[in-house]
Amino acid sequence: MPSGLADLLHDAAVLHRFVDFIEEYCKEQERSQTYVDASGLFFQYVEKLAAGIKQELGREIERAQRFPSRLPILRSNIWTLKNYLRLLHALIKPAADAHTLTIPAPLIELAAHQLQQVERMKNSCVVILLTSEFMYFQRPHTDIKDQARIVETFIPKASFPPKLGFIELPYSQGPSFFTNLAIYHEIGHFVYEELSNSDPPHRHIAALKSAIVRSLNKAFRKRSLDPETFAVAAKILGNWIQEIFCDLFAIRLVGPAFSFAFVEMLGMLGFLSEKATVIFNPTHPATACRFAEHVRMLQNDSWWNAIANIDAGQKKLLERLSNLPQSGYKFYWDESTPGPQSLVQVFLDVVVPAIRKLVRQVTPENVTAVRRFEKARGSIEDCLRVGVVPHPTSSSPLDPVSIINSAFCFYLTALPEVVKRFEGADAENDVAVHSLWTKRLEMWTMKAIEDSQIQDRFRGVRGTALWSSLEKKS
Amino acid sequence: MVLSRKEILRRMKEHVSQEDSIVITPLIYKELEDVFDADSVDLRLGCHFLLPKTLDQPFFSPDRRSATSLHVRVHVPLGQFLVVPAHQTILGATLEFIKLPSDVSGQVLTKSSVARTFIVVETAPWIHPQYRGCLTLEIANVSNTPVLLYPGRLICQLVLMRIAPTQENAKTQTVKDNKDDLSTKLDTNYFGPVYPEAPKFRNPQDDLLRIGVTRVSSFKRTRLHATKKGWREEKSEL
Repeated sequence: MPSGLADLLHDAAVLHRFVDFIEEYCKEQERSQTYVDASGLFFQYVEKLAAGIKQELGREIERAQRFPSRLPILRSNIWTLKNYLRLLHALIKPAADAHTLTIPAPLIELAAHQLQQVERMKNSCVVILLTSEFMYFQRPHTDIKDQARIVETFIPKASFPPKLGFIELPYSQGPSFFTNLAIYHEIGHFVYEELSNSDPPHRHIAALKSAIVRSLNKAFRKRSLDPETFAVAAKILGNWIQEIFCDLFAIRLVGPAFSFAFVEMLGMLGFLSEKATVIFNPTHPATACRFAEHVRMLQNDSWWNAIANIDAGQKKLLERLSNLPQSGYKFYWDESTPGPQSLVQVFLDVVVPAIRKLVRQVTPENVTAVRRFEKARGSIEDCLRVGVVPHPTSSSPLDPVSIINSAFCFYLTALPEVVKRFEGADAENDVAVHSLWTKRLEMWTMKAIEDSQIQDRFRGVRGTALWSSLEKKS
Repeated sequence: MVLSRKEILRRMKEHVSQEDSIVITPLIYKELEDVFDADSVDLRLGCHFLLPKTLDQPFFSPDRRSATSLHVRVHVPLGQFLVVPAHQTILGATLEFIKLPSDVSGQVLTKSSVARTFIVVETAPWIHPQYRGCLTLEIANVSNTPVLLYPGRLICQLVLMRIAPTQENAKTQTVKDNKDDLSTKLDTNYFGPVYPEAPKFRNPQDDLLRIGVTRVSSFKRTRLHATKKGWREEKSEL
C-alpha cells in the first residue's frame, strides 16, 4: 500500500471512530432523556451527518485506491470534516446536558413559539446548551452554518437545519425560572444575526448600518478616520446596537419581567456597582443607558403604567438608573483608559432611535398584552398567595406573558407575606425558607404556563374536523 | 358525606381565596361527563415520574439522606409513553393541581378501566383537608406483562368528602363557623408539589426518641483497608 494511502486510511479510521462515538452518544442521550424540539432536531442532524461521514470515508478510501492522484483532495476533505466536527463537538455535550429535567422546558417552548412569530423567523428554533460559565450567551451560528454548507457538498444527506440557533444557560440556573427570562435577550442575538445575514438584508438592519456610518461621520467630522479606526469604531457601535436591540426585543416579547430578570442577573453577577452602571465598554453599553431604554420601551408599550404600583427594589433601581443624565455616561476602552466620548453621544442621538424602530418592526405588535396582564394579574396573584397554581377563571386559558409578569411582580413584592402566612412569623427572616418558597413560586409559574399550553392545544383541536372524526369513532 | 358533582362544581367556582373553594386545574373536557361522575372527578396522569433506582447497598433505609437515593426522575412528555415493567411500582403525579378546603378530605381510587389492566394506583390514597399540589400516585403494575402508561390519559378518580362537624356546629354550613372542628396544621413539607415527590424522612433514631426509645440499631457501611496488622476500618463513614 502506498504510504500516502496508508496515512489517509489511518486518518479516516480515526475520524470514523470519533464520528461513531458522537453518533452513539447522541442516540444514547435521546434514548435516556427527553429534549425540546430544537435539541431533537440538532441531534437528528448530528446522527445523519455521522452516518453520512462514515459512508463517505469508505468511499474516499475507495477513490484513493483508484485515483492516487486525488489523495491531496481527499486529505483536504478529511481535514474539512475534522474542523467542522470540532465545532459541533463543543455543542453536543452541553446540548445533551440540557434535557427537560435540567431546563425550564415550558419557558423554552413558549420562547420558541414567540420566536416563530417574529418577522422572518418562521420555523426557527434554538437549542439550549448548559454551560459552565455563569452567564447567558448566544453562540454565533453563522460560522457553523458556513462550514455546514461546505460539508453538505460531500455529505448531501445531512443538511444543517436552516434556522437553528444555540443559546447557553448557566447550568446552575437550569431549573430556575425567573432569571432564565434572560434567554429572551439571547434569542434577540440569534434574531439579529439571522436578520443581518439574511438575503436580501432586512431593510431596517440596512438602515442601522447606514446609521452607524452617519454617526461615525458625525462623531469624527473634524478628522478623517483611517479605515482601521473606522472598522474598530463600527465594531463597537455594532456591539452596542446588538445589546440594546436584544434588550428591547426581550421586553417586546415578555414585558417588564425581562427587565426584572435582568436586574436580578446583574445583581447576582455583581455588575450593579454605582460606578460601573454609567460606563460604556467596547462590548456593552452602560447599564444605565440600557435601563433607560427598557423604561422608555415599557412606557411606550403601556407596561410601565401597568406596573406603577409595584413597590420593589428592582423597579426602583431600574427607575433610578434610567433617570441618570446621559451626560454622566463614560466610555472606557478598559478599566482605566477613556475612549472617545463623542462615540457615545452619536450612538445615543443617531443609532438608538434606529434600533427602537427596528425592534418595533420585527416583533409582533401585541397591543392587548398589557390589558390581558392587568385583567389577569389579580387572580394570578390570588392563586399564588394561597399556594395554588394560577389558573383561568373562565374557559379561555391564561396568557403566558400575563402569568410570567404577574408571578414576577408577586415574587418581588409578596414573597415575605406568603412565607409568613404558611411558615409563621418565625420563618420570616429564614433564608432557606425564602429560597424554598421562591422555588415553589417558580414551579407553580411554570406549571401554569405548561397548563396554559395544554389548554391551548386542546382548544386548537376541539371543534376541528379531526375532533369530529374522533367524536364519530367514539 | 361524599360531595356531589354539583357541589364540587359550585366550590370550584368560588374564588380561590374563599375558605370552602376547591381547585382542580387544568380540567380538560368537552362535556362535563368526560371527567365528572355524579360523585367523583377523573384525573389525568402527569408527565413526571420517579422510577426505582438500583441501590448500591443491600437495602433501603428510610432516613434523612434517603430522599434522593431511591428514585430516578424521568420526564415523559404528552404523546410519549412510559413502560412499567411487570411487578414494578413507580411514582407518578396527577396532571391536575388540587387544592382542598379545610372541611373536605379526598380519596384517590384507580379508575376501574385502568384497574382492569392490573394497574393499581395508590396504596396511600387519603388526601387531607387543605392539601394543595399535584397528587403523587404510587402506580403498581401487578400483572405479568409490562404495561404502557400515557401521560395525559385519565388514570384515577378523586372522591371528595365533607368532614362531619360536631353536633353544636352541625347546623352551620359554612367553613368559617366550623373552624374548631376543622383546625389542621398544614404540612409544609409536602406543600404544593407539581411533580411526584420522594418521601421525606427524619432519621429513625430521631423519630424513635420522640417516643422514648434511646437505643437504636443502625447500619453503618464502612470501607476496609489492608494494613500490616490485617484489615482495618477506614474512619470516614460512607
